[in-house]
Amino acid sequence: MATLLAPPAGAPESGAALARRPLRSGRDLTLVAIVTTVSLVLFVIVGLPLIRIFAVAFAPEGWEIVTSMLTNPVNRRVLVNTVQLGVIVALIGTAIGFVLAYTQVRVRFRGKRVLHLLALVPIVTPPFALATATISLFGRNGIITNGLLGIQGDVYGLKGLTLVLVISFFPVAYMNFKGMLESLDPSLDEAAANLGASKLRTFLTVTLPMLVPGIAGSVLLLFVESISDLGNPLVLGGDYTVLASRAYIAITGEYSVPAGAAYSLVLLVPALSVFLVQRYWVGKKNVVTVTGKPSGTIDLITAPSLRIPALVISGLVAATVVLLYLTVFVGGFVRILGVNNEFTLRNYQFVLAGIGSDAMFTTTTLALVATPIAGLLGMVIAWLVVRKLKRFAGLMDFVGMLGLAVPGTVIGIGYAIAFNTPWIAGGRQWFPAVAGGSAMLGGAAAIVMVFVARSLPSGQRSGIAALGQISPAIDEASTSLGASSATTFRKVTLPLIRPALLAGLTYAFARSMTTLSPIIFITTPQTKIMTSQILAEVDAGRFGNAFAYCAILIVIVLGVIGLLNLALLHPSLRGIQRRPS
Amino acid sequence: MRHRRLAALAALPLGSALALSACAVDQAAPGASSGASGGAAGSGTVVIACTPQEEQCQAMAAAFTKATGIKTSYVRLSSGEAVARLGAGKSKPEFDVLYGGPSDGHVAAAKSELIEKYVSPNAAKIPDKYKAADGTWTGTYVGALGFCSNTDVLKKLGVEAPTSWQALLDPKLAKNVAIAHPSTSGTSYTAVWTQMLLNGKDEAKTFDYLKKLHSNVLQYSKSGSAPGQMAGRGEVAVGIVFSHDCVKYQKEGFTMLKNTFPAEGTGYEIGAVSLVKGGPNPANGKKFIDWTLTADHQNIGPTVGSFQIPTNPEAKVTEDMVKLDQVKLVDYSSDEAGAAKKSLTARFDAEIAPQPK
Repeated sequence: MATLLAPPAGAPESGAALARRPLRSGRDLTLVAIVTTVSLVLFVIVGLPLIRIFAVAFAPEGWEIVTSMLTNPVNRRVLVNTVQLGVIVALIGTAIGFVLAYTQVRVRFRGKRVLHLLALVPIVTPPFALATATISLFGRNGIITNGLLGIQGDVYGLKGLTLVLVISFFPVAYMNFKGMLESLDPSLDEAAANLGASKLRTFLTVTLPMLVPGIAGSVLLLFVESISDLGNPLVLGGDYTVLASRAYIAITGEYSVPAGAAYSLVLLVPALSVFLVQRYWVGKKNVVTVTGKPSGTIDLITAPSLRIPALVISGLVAATVVLLYLTVFVGGFVRILGVNNEFTLRNYQFVLAGIGSDAMFTTTTLALVATPIAGLLGMVIAWLVVRKLKRFAGLMDFVGMLGLAVPGTVIGIGYAIAFNTPWIAGGRQWFPAVAGGSAMLGGAAAIVMVFVARSLPSGQRSGIAALGQISPAIDEASTSLGASSATTFRKVTLPLIRPALLAGLTYAFARSMTTLSPIIFITTPQTKIMTSQILAEVDAGRFGNAFAYCAILIVIVLGVIGLLNLALLHPSLRGIQRRPS
Repeated sequence: MRHRRLAALAALPLGSALALSACAVDQAAPGASSGASGGAAGSGTVVIACTPQEEQCQAMAAAFTKATGIKTSYVRLSSGEAVARLGAGKSKPEFDVLYGGPSDGHVAAAKSELIEKYVSPNAAKIPDKYKAADGTWTGTYVGALGFCSNTDVLKKLGVEAPTSWQALLDPKLAKNVAIAHPSTSGTSYTAVWTQMLLNGKDEAKTFDYLKKLHSNVLQYSKSGSAPGQMAGRGEVAVGIVFSHDCVKYQKEGFTMLKNTFPAEGTGYEIGAVSLVKGGPNPANGKKFIDWTLTADHQNIGPTVGSFQIPTNPEAKVTEDMVKLDQVKLVDYSSDEAGAAKKSLTARFDAEIAPQPK
């Protein structure tokens, strides 16, 4: 574990290992520069804060908890709950994401654009919004459960958490699968059909096996996301305690940072094991489908045996999304939805003209700074991991994922410990203080760094899955024509993985705008962040304001994502890949 | 030539990704000299770690600036988060004052040497039971634990609003009571320690009561004030919360909520203020603490929807506040309660929480 967490030890070696290759080709110094740069960035934004915080977990108080994880029945229960929740959400979320992507790409029906938009909406889930909407709709006194059906539902615990987390995270799987399905070569399907296979058989024996890396990637990502989620277990968890909420409680309720760090360290174990399984078992099953050779067009499915179930499931999911988000929007216009349905504009007024406008501006600006950094960094890491690095690929991949795998609370405290003071060694300041009110830029730099660390992994995963499908021969062709690694990446690889880049950027912005738990420890008087304002409103019982904040946050994020889509899919940019080089 | 240009272009995004750290290194020399004075330097500012609601923090900061001319800024955090953050930034504190939150947070901060002793000249007016004997913290408000009931749900169940701890055990209230988990919430731990006091500090009797209460509890929430919201939403009939939280929810639109108190006696929290050790503006920090103990400051709360009871006898007690002389309070000692917390919550985790209902 210690070696895995210590990229500085690995970085120089990986540089050295690479230096051999450039020497052979004689001029690939840029690659060495890129690897060194990426390693350094990862070390600063992820490695250092985690090393600082996990050092705390080895204090006696923390170590006692780590060692009692399996012997103490209370702690064992927490661990079991965490894994159970992660597995359930990862499987259901991946399945739903797949069905929606498959319906979108392969099934003939009207309203594709609507389905696509609805599948993307949950990427923006401000903390508390879905959980609170779920309680309003399905709680014991819920609008649907009690009002329409007259039953006393109990949404607290595993049931409610599964619903909310699946809805929150399935879009990641959807976006991965959509990209992969679109780039699958239809000639393989045609070949299967020509040999007499039915659509279903083609799907099971041709399409599905090629998607194994994507499935594994999604399951991994969703598992890690759902076990490290904090906001929903806090609101909806009830008695169902998971490691992330346990760590938060240890820090905020028991005033024990060592205990919080210890629970988080344990949280890395399931995340790490899934990661290793994915890397060493599924990694061997990659199927190359983008070969650079011409391919045909997709033959859309009309057979009812596949079409009807696919459409029914997609319709149900879409309806749930509409219902939950509609609740958030309507909730902004009444005092307390479902309790006091008096119409009011006060909530939106409060957010748009009051304290909220400042937070809105700051949060959006910082997220816009972080988004391109996170998106590109994710793609570069994916490219290095899949194509360039040999021995240290796993290490870099893992460190990149850590920003997501560790609960935000722990990252936040790690940042506060690591970056509140400048690093001074040998009488020289190597790195200034970036976190806290007295740091440069009022602590905004640390917030951008946290945004990047938290949102990088999604792009990295979709990049890795996309690259796995692309034949290295394309890269090699470019290289043998004399292009350097960097040129190949920019001219060949990047255009090919543009859908993954788009996914990475989209997710980076959405995640930056909705990150809560690490922010709490590094906000400053100069930087008010929307999510922490939402938390304050929920705490104060002003659900109208909280819903209004969430609705506005959703509108901002969807607006920016819409612009991103337009920009990245614009013909002038698409042209890059056709321009002779 | 061409390769190099393209390579440079490709490295551009990386360069910009690095820009933050890169210019940071460049700034090494000036950074070191300006680092000493910091951003909050000079005699004109004070930085608060503020745990009450946003509006109260804002109103308070504005009022203090108006009264003294000292520029006041704050970060709003929950009490536990504030202590964790002070701990993380111990080597270079960014705050001058830790304001609000139950006294046990300040006791924890004092134990980790995050705050230092400061006895304000104005503390003389505050009753002794609302301040630390060793001068590490002083109380600015008090909140009493009460029962926050949803009258609509009570009517459906045919139960009166509970006025005693025993009434909470009524089988009609099965799965209709909410309270936070004592290891996650100071509110809930206050309730557990109150039971200890009511049972003559007999742990067995206390846990016997908690075991009975367990079958009526729908869930142990994480946050201390959540049971009040759950009652407001009709998820449960009764939430055990601080009464000012119940009043707050009433004002925010949960008009069916009713606040009652146990006849046997109830516990309370002291909202405290303390001076951060080694803060950037200690002189202004002390001025701020002096000011929080005046009636001027303590009268702000009710104007922004905070109905805790002021500790300064000269401050106004409004209609919406609990009259402390009408509620029977137990003799609560934060130090003793704090010392027993770890073993009591561990026992609660092992014996009560996992029980079937």
